[in-house]
This record gives sequence, C-alpha cells and structure tokens, in this order.
Amino acid sequence: MINFKINGTPVTAERGETIINVARREDIYIPTMCYIEKTSPCASCRLCSVEVEGLDGFVLACNTPPTEGINVITDSEVLETERTNIMRMYDVNHPLECGVCDKSGECDLQNKTLEFNVGQQQFAAKDQPRKIENWGLINYDPSLCILCEKCTHVCNEVIGDDALDLLFGGYNSKVIPKNSDVLDCTFCGECIAVCPVGALISSDFQYSANSWELSKVPATCAHCSAGCALEYEVKHAGVEAQGAESIYRVKNNFEYATLCGAGRFGFDYDNSATKDDEAFAKAVEAVSKAKAIRFSSMITNEEMMILKALKEKLGLKLFNRDARHMQLFMDAYASVSGTKHYSADLETLKESDAIIMVGTRIATDNPGVRYAMTTAARHNGAKVVYMHPLEDALLQNTVTQFVKYEVGTEEGVLALLAQTLIVDQELTQREQSFIDSLDEGYLSAETNVGDDELELMKKQFLRSKSKTLVIGSDILAHERVENIARLVALIEKYSDFNVLVVPSEANTLGVSLIADLDIDDHSENVVGYNAKGNFVISALEGADLAVPAFNQQEGTVVSIDKRVLPTNVALGFEGYTLNDIANALGVHAQNTVDYTSRLPQESGFKAVDFDDLENFYSDKGVDTRGYVLDDVTVKRGGYPEEVAELPEFNGAVIYHANPVLQFNAFTAQTKQLENDNNLYGSASFAAAARLSDGEAVTFVYAGETVRRVFKLDETLKGTVALHPTFDLGLNVRSDYRFETVNFKRESK
Amino acid sequence: MSLEQFKNRDVSDSGYYLVDIDAYPEKGFDKFKRIVARTFRGELFVGLWVVMREMIKFDIHTVQYPKEKLPVGPRYRAVHEMQRLWESGTERCIGCGLCEKICISDCIRMDTKIDENNRKVVSEYTINLGRCIFCGYCAEVCPELAIVHGGRYENTSEQRAHYTDYQDMLTPFDMALNGQVPEYPGFGAVTPHEDERVKSTPLAY
Ligand code: SF4
Ligand code: SF4
Ligand code: SF4
Ligand code: SF4
Ligand code: SF4
Ligand code: FES
Repeated sequence: MINFKINGTPVTAERGETIINVARREDIYIPTMCYIEKTSPCASCRLCSVEVEGLDGFVLACNTPPTEGINVITDSEVLETERTNIMRMYDVNHPLECGVCDKSGECDLQNKTLEFNVGQQQFAAKDQPRKIENWGLINYDPSLCILCEKCTHVCNEVIGDDALDLLFGGYNSKVIPKNSDVLDCTFCGECIAVCPVGALISSDFQYSANSWELSKVPATCAHCSAGCALEYEVKHAGVEAQGAESIYRVKNNFEYATLCGAGRFGFDYDNSATKDDEAFAKAVEAVSKAKAIRFSSMITNEEMMILKALKEKLGLKLFNRDARHMQLFMDAYASVSGTKHYSADLETLKESDAIIMVGTRIATDNPGVRYAMTTAARHNGAKVVYMHPLEDALLQNTVTQFVKYEVGTEEGVLALLAQTLIVDQELTQREQSFIDSLDEGYLSAETNVGDDELELMKKQFLRSKSKTLVIGSDILAHERVENIARLVALIEKYSDFNVLVVPSEANTLGVSLIADLDIDDHSENVVGYNAKGNFVISALEGADLAVPAFNQQEGTVVSIDKRVLPTNVALGFEGYTLNDIANALGVHAQNTVDYTSRLPQESGFKAVDFDDLENFYSDKGVDTRGYVLDDVTVKRGGYPEEVAELPEFNGAVIYHANPVLQFNAFTAQTKQLENDNNLYGSASFAAAARLSDGEAVTFVYAGETVRRVFKLDETLKGTVALHPTFDLGLNVRSDYRFETVNFKRESK
Repeated sequence: MSLEQFKNRDVSDSGYYLVDIDAYPEKGFDKFKRIVARTFRGELFVGLWVVMREMIKFDIHTVQYPKEKLPVGPRYRAVHEMQRLWESGTERCIGCGLCEKICISDCIRMDTKIDENNRKVVSEYTINLGRCIFCGYCAEVCPELAIVHGGRYENTSEQRAHYTDYQDMLTPFDMALNGQVPEYPGFGAVTPHEDERVKSTPLAY
C-alpha cells in the first residue's frame, strides 16, 4: 500500500498500480490518448503528463507508479498548455476528413481536439504521399494513424500473434506488418478495436455506415465456449430494404475484453423465414412421435430447458455428444474433487504464472483461452507447457515448453502428470497406492513423454505461485474420459494447480448442467434440432422447419468461466421457434426466457429473471455480465482406477481441428470468414498416407463420406493431418478427435 | 420618418386621433335603416365598374398555371438538388450522412460504400418527398454545399410516399462543366473575387 495525494486528496495505491490506475479508480480525470487498460503502457502520447509537487518537469501518469507521500497535480495551467501543444502536434497534417471517416463520432483524436480547442493549424510539415493498405479484412490508412502503438501492444501482449510493427521515420512513420509484406495473422481484428482513430478499419464495414446511426445490441458470442461479450451494431439494411435490418459490424469493450475474428467478422449467420404453418404442423407431429431429439450445443440454456421438458413430457431421448462427454468428465471429476464445477476461469488463467495445457489445439478451439494465456505469459512471465501430439505454430510466441505425446495416450500423460505434480502430500492410502502402482517405464515409453521433459517442466515451475492446468476437448471425447477426469481431480486436490476445462462448443457446459443426456445409438426417427436427424429443425439451410439463429434469440449460455451470460436479439425473426412447438405439445411458457429463472439450482444456477441480468463491463472494468454459477458440493467417493492399456494409432491419422476463425456451420456461412476446408498435413504425413499436394481424397467420417483436397503445409510436423469439420453441419464430430482413416483417391 | 420619431412611443401628440364610430343601433328599425343605407351606397358600383373595365380591356394578369409558371425566388425551398463542382463536374456529396441525421422528418435515406480508389461514395440516396417539410435543415447542415433546394415545387403524386432519387436530383454533368449552375450570393455561396482571396494555407508549400 502506497499513500500519496492527487490534487491534495489522500489516496492509496496497490503495489504495481500506476498513477492513472488510482486516478481512474478515484474518478479523477487525466486525459490519455494511448492508454489501454489490458496492455502494458504504450507511453507514446504524453497527454497523461502530470506534475508532482516539488519535482521539476512532468511525469507520465500511465507508466509511473506513485511513491509514498507525493502530491500529484493533474490540472494546472502549465499542464493545460503542454497538453494543448501535444494536441496541436497531433493535428499537424491530419487529413480533414472527419466528414467521411468511419471513426467520426467516436474518435479520440476528434474528441480531444475539441476538448483542447485546437481550432487551427499554425505550422505545417511537408506532406508525404501515403498509400492506403488493404490487408484483407483490415484496411490501414497511414495518414490517419497517430502512432499511439496500441495496435502493436495489443497484438503482441494479448493476442500473441505479434504481427504488427512500427516503422519509424519522422512524419513518414507508420504501422507495418512485422517481417512480412502483407499482414499474415489470425485476423482477430482487435487492432481495429483499439485504434483510437480511423487508421485501422474493418474493410467490410468501411464507409458503409456512420457510428451514430447504428443501434447497439449487447450480446454474447455464440461461436465458442469463451462466451465473449460483444455488441452487434444494427442498422436498416439499405435504401431498398423495406424495413429489414442487418448487422453492420461487431464491436467489443476492448479496454477489458477481447474478441477473436470469428466473433468480430462472423456475425451474418442469421436465418430468415416466415410463419410456415404446414412445416410447423409437421414439426409438431415429428417431435410428438420422435424417439429422440439430437441437438447441438449452440443453443441457449432456455432452449435446453424446453428440450428437457419435452423429454419428460413425451418420454423421448436427448442426444448431444459433446455435452454428454462433458457430463461424463465433470461427474467423474466431481466424484474425486467433491465440487461440481472446475476451479479456474479465464481471470485466474490470466493471473497464472505456470500453465500446463493438455489435449487441445487452443488457438482455434478457444481463442479466449489463448488470449488469457498470452496475457499471462507477457504480463506475469508465465511458463506455458503445451502437451499435445501436434505442435501449433500459433503458440510459438507463448509456449515455453512443448511436450509431444503419442496420439491416444492422454490417460498415460495425465497419470505421469499426477506422479510428477503430486509431491509430499497427505494422500489417502488408496490414492497413494494408486500413484505407487503407476508403471512409469511403461507410461513413458507408450506416451513418449520423457522423464527429462517432466523434470524440465518441474524446474520451470519452481518459483511459480499461481498455477493452472487446462484440459481440452481431446480429453473430454476420449474413451477413458472418466478415469482421466479422476486423475485431473487428483492433481487438483493434491497440488497447487487449479483446473480449467475447455468446453468444446459454445454452450456445452450449460447443456450438460441442465439435463441428463442419452447415448446416441444412431437409431431412426430422430428429430434434429440444429443437428442431423430424420426431421430437421434448424437455423441452417435445408431445414424442414426454420428457427432463429443464435443472434436472433434471447436467452443465456454458460461460458468457460462458469458464468451464465445473457444474449439479446440482434435481428428479428418472423417464423416459429422451439417454444412454439413446445406450447403446441403442452409444455407451456409464453416466452423462451421464462425458463431463465427456472434453471436447475442444484447445478448452481440462480433463480434470476432474464430481464434482471446485466450485460456490460463497468467503467472501472467490473464484469457485471450475468452471474457466476454457485459452487455446488457433491459426494466424494471416486478413485482413479488402473490406467488401461494405452492405444496405438498407426497409419494415416487425422485430427479434427478447424482453421483459424472457423468453428461451426454458422461461421461457415458468414461472408467475411475464409472457408478453407482443405486437409493439411506435413511432408511426412504425405509420405505415410501416400498423398501429394493438391490431391483430392474421400474418406468416411462420422458415418458420411467426406471429400477433401490435401494440401502440404510446411509449418506442420509429424504424421497427423489437420482435418476441418466446421462445414459438415453441427454436432457431427465423432467421439475422439484423432482418427485413423482410409483415404480413397479420386481417379484423375 | 426619422429614427427618433420612430422610437417615440408617446402617442399623445403625434397626430393620432380616435376614429369616430357611430353608436351601435339599438332598435330594430334603426338597424334596418343602417342596412339600407349601406346597401345602396355608390361604392358597390365602383368595384363593379373596375371589374367591367378590366374585362373589356383584355389586359389579364392571371397566370395561366400550369401552362404558364412564375419564376421563384432564388432562396425558395422546393425539391432538392444535388450539386456538382464547377469545372470538374465532380459530385459534391461526400456521403457524410449529416443531412440524413439532421432531417427532422426522417425522410432522407442513403447507402454509402467504399469504391475502388478507397474513397467513400454514395450508392443510393433518396428523399421521401411525401414526408419532407422543406425545412431546409439538410441544405443548411451540408458541409459540402452538395444538397440545396431547387425551384421545382410541383410534388403532386398518386402515392403518399413519393421519392426522389439521387440521379433525379443530380445536376446534369454538362451544366456543371459549362458553368450553368446558378450561384447566388449569400451564406454558403462562392464569394466574389474568390481567386484573389485564396491564400496559401498551412497545408500548401
Ligand atoms: S481519425 Fe478522427 S480526427 Fe481523423 S478524420 Fe477520422 S474522425 Fe476525423
Ligand atoms: S488482426 Fe489481430 S492478430 Fe492481426 S494484426 Fe490485428 S491484432 Fe494482430
Ligand atoms: S493504427 Fe491506430 S492503434 Fe495503431 S498506431 Fe496507428 S493510431 Fe495507434
Ligand atoms: S428539407 Fe427538412 S424535412 Fe426535407 S429532407 Fe431536408 S431536412 Fe428533411
Ligand atoms: S450533408 Fe451533404 S455531403 Fe453530407 S451526405 Fe448530405 S448531401 Fe452529402
Ligand atoms: S497515456 Fe500516458 S503517454 Fe499516452
């Protein structure tokens, strides 16, 4: 605790806080231009200059921690002059194009120029011709850039791509792609979000609307389980639109939250339909006669409640693979840990200084986790150990140690981890004997994880204080998921690791907490709800009855943070919904959100009405979105059992993983996101599978024949190829993510 | 009248006098007498004679609308026109959307997009004349003097909603090139001797 004064008022700072943090907390205004809460200070604008009594000159509030007893002056005539002069400098040669600039109305430069009353330019610099750059989804206009460095900071410190660099050269300075001619990055678009001026703009949005005509709909992203907060910006769809509206862009509260490119650019997956009474009658009949409903986890908790009610009323079964896997994992985990929910969330991950990640290709599975991890690595110097059969080039800036294990041996890997991480603890006798019984030689040999690697890992973590173990969906879908879950819980119980599980789809966790799910026996007479079936009710093309897509619904989802997050209607939908079908079958509720307050409290939900849920970050960064699930204690009694014989995967193995920015059938139909569904493999995979670059192959996947073009990828190693599944419909992924397949060449 | 006199509010000695108004007749017969006296006064025939005289002279001043139309004043606010720049003929509208925003009856709607030169262009622009109240705000706010009110005041339509499109309002290209677009003195107009008045600005070297 540091006691000091701002403008004579006594205030206190925590360790690590700067003057601006304290000032903002105390509602004392200090102008800034380059400050952004979630990165280290850029310290490029000097607008935050303040005086310290008794000290000559100015100090920067954004990167100076206060010292005991000082008195900081935030407002004086000298400061005013200094700041006005800075604004004058910014305005030198700045194009007079607010009239057309997309940033106009929400531009920091515009606001501050008016605030400091800079009405004219008293001197000039020789202007340079500056080319507007088109970087795919992003356009960059160097003449608008004020070189605040926010974009480079966020790209490096939060995203982890480190794709942008500053080229210094006086009035010729600009932002350039790092070590490359064109921007080659994961296109999260966060640089667009943080840019205080109109220099970086979404190329799709540019010049299509003005900031003041867009109405903002606070919502939750539906593409992955990170459940990021976003705002849909909606306007009439154009002069010819006859009253129809469309989403123009997605924005986020970049000060405290981060979005990936799928959330930012993949927003136009809405469905449109009119009330088709015939199809509706058929749907009601199909559901009433169905044996089961198969559905994907891209639904709200409320829709899940309706499905549960239908299950109870009509006695049908509910099929949902990924949520069932989640249930198996969490139940087994809880039987050892005694708590229903895993312990960590993205905030604890951000604050960790030691991270182990097993069984996920995180950069594309859940970018939110990746960003939290990058932040931890940059800001706390976190050591990140990534364990997976495949290396990921996207994590090369973040990961400190890559541990490769053999495909399918996750159970062995977790057993080895348990042995390594649990030391000198009061284990019960049964647990101790389990640990002792582990055959390290066998496990090491089969998993291919060496003793030295585990030792290195341990050494890295020696000085770490806050540790997180991240468990990915490879494990959730593993045959031995239950025993792995028990091992995970054991590690959590007897080491200082917290556990974070990455649910595989947007609302897998929510769905898994609401109702028991059945084993999908692929029987006939199944109604598909946003999934395959004999009668399909879906927001995707080719449905027998069209229902609203996720951005046309209100309801809640449960994110990886175990937070119940509300989402709102961005675009209207004229047709029928699941609730209409339920009403026709005698499960009554006026609105779908009537179910919000009825969510099962035994799973940690609270009896809160939908309309009472907030959905924003406060000025001071407090996350007020929805609520966090209550802790639920459950009966213990589970013990890890003997590790089963570890499987071997030989031949041509593929790994179901989507390319950057693609997640599912909804992202697949958005116009901005690239639809790259090629099969990517390394040269050694090509040799093993006897495929050549550009060759088309077919193979059977999840019961259906898939055709893919094989592409050689230099950045990949090993003999496993990456197989995208996003364009194959929803909830089709077969159980374990690695598979041996038989390729059929297409005759040329 | 001098300003002094004009400002003098003292009405007691400035030649004002009260009009002598007869008392209102009380009795029925008095009322009758007054009606008769007023009816048969000669003034009636004076008026009739003027009409008769003009009729015989055939010097008629009635405008034969719609065959004949009077010119309207330069500041008249009728259907909008979209201007081009003199000489270059470039469309003046930059698509800033201010007219759309300020429009009090919400009758302007426009679509803009980015063109191949990375510039903002207006792809659609309509005004619903059925709702426009011809207040002139749009012309007032326009930073480019692009939208102005023209003299076309005929708006009859079979439909309540009656639109005019960008192309209908846009000044024909050759008119702009030939300098045939009228400019009027006053706010927003090109000032006289513009060429001499342009100085090197900080952005010119
Ligand atoms: S960046 Fe800001 S100040 Fe510059 S033209 Fe755009 S709106 Fe105006
Ligand atoms: S889009 Fe994202 S990854 Fe690409 S440069 Fe911008 S911040 Fe970096
Ligand atoms: S592009 Fe934007 S965020 Fe990046 S340095 Fe320029 S003004 Fe700052
Ligand atoms: S004249 Fe007034 S009502 Fe008509 S378009 Fe312009 S601003 Fe709107
Ligand atoms: S205010 Fe003028 S320049 Fe702006 S959009 Fe309207 S007509 Fe065009
Ligand atoms: S905010 Fe401190 S230097 Fe920019």
